[in-house]
Amino acid sequence: MKNKILIPLLAAVIPALFTGCATDAHYVQTGDKEQIISVGQINIQDYANAANDAVKELLQSGALDKVANPPAILAVSRIVNNTGQQIDLNLITKKIRVALRDSGKALTDTTVGLGGTAEDPLAKGAKQEGEFMNDQKTTRLPDFTLSGRIIQTIDRAGNTRRSTYSFQLSLTDKQGLAVWEGEKEIGKQGTRSTVGF
Amino acid sequence: MKTLKLLSFVLAAGALALNGCSTVNSVENAQREGQRNMISDQRVITDAGLNRKVAIVGVNSAMTPGGLLKVQVEVENHTHSPQRFLYHFEWFDANGMQVNNIVSASVPEQIEGKESKFIYSIAPNPSCRDFRVKFIEAD
Repeated sequence: MKNKILIPLLAAVIPALFTGCATDAHYVQTGDKEQIISVGQINIQDYANAANDAVKELLQSGALDKVANPPAILAVSRIVNNTGQQIDLNLITKKIRVALRDSGKALTDTTVGLGGTAEDPLAKGAKQEGEFMNDQKTTRLPDFTLSGRIIQTIDRAGNTRRSTYSFQLSLTDKQGLAVWEGEKEIGKQGTRSTVGF
Repeated sequence: MKTLKLLSFVLAAGALALNGCSTVNSVENAQREGQRNMISDQRVITDAGLNRKVAIVGVNSAMTPGGLLKVQVEVENHTHSPQRFLYHFEWFDANGMQVNNIVSASVPEQIEGKESKFIYSIAPNPSCRDFRVKFIEAD
């Protein structure tokens, strides 16, 4: 009699236990409570937080307001990746660019780039064509360039690892002076990746 | 038997006290030169547990040199142990419409026991008039 009750009970409880451990796929928001935190790599929320801090500090500094003809024109220069992982640096620069454009403080020139390589070659061609047809140089040089570096440092104590990512950014004016500089450090410590905060 | 129970209770409580508690001492200038422009705020508390641990002390605002609204919120940890939470700023224009902000991710924050801390944000554009800050306790 006891077995008759016990077996169906176990049959119901055991699958329930297993389904409790599994996580069904679902949509998440960047930076929510369920974010995956990896000690050994930069997670998407880290880029968002670094960009958030950079934009806050940059807007607060008023550096972009000191141009003769606002909004300021910005060009993205070299951002060096000194971490052990491959990074698409647009994950941080795009957020900064969009936030600055939305603020009305700066616009990014997509026709200039390092070594003459334009982010948008077609726009560069159209601009050159327009200048040729009108027989005058209409190009406004960028007021500022954005450069930076992402650095990773790793410390270990037994099984515990600590990774610190430093997001360093500089805004340089036409005279070559860094009119704004910011650094955001994001430190993560643990023995393995986790979900949460 | 009673002594054994008492001893294990004391040991457990002692271990907890040693692990979880570290509070912050601070010092500041007595005669403050800067005056904070405190603003009246309206609070909606749905997580009383978080509010008991990390309470909002006050909100003040200022304008940046470029004419953007800057809001600073002072929070205080009422417990003796570090607390972790996420906060998130939302911005609204003169018509009460929420202003989209690409860098509006929730920001993780940690506050030590009995510590008072400031969090701040800058409005994404000059049209922003109002704001709301959301706090969520971390797991």
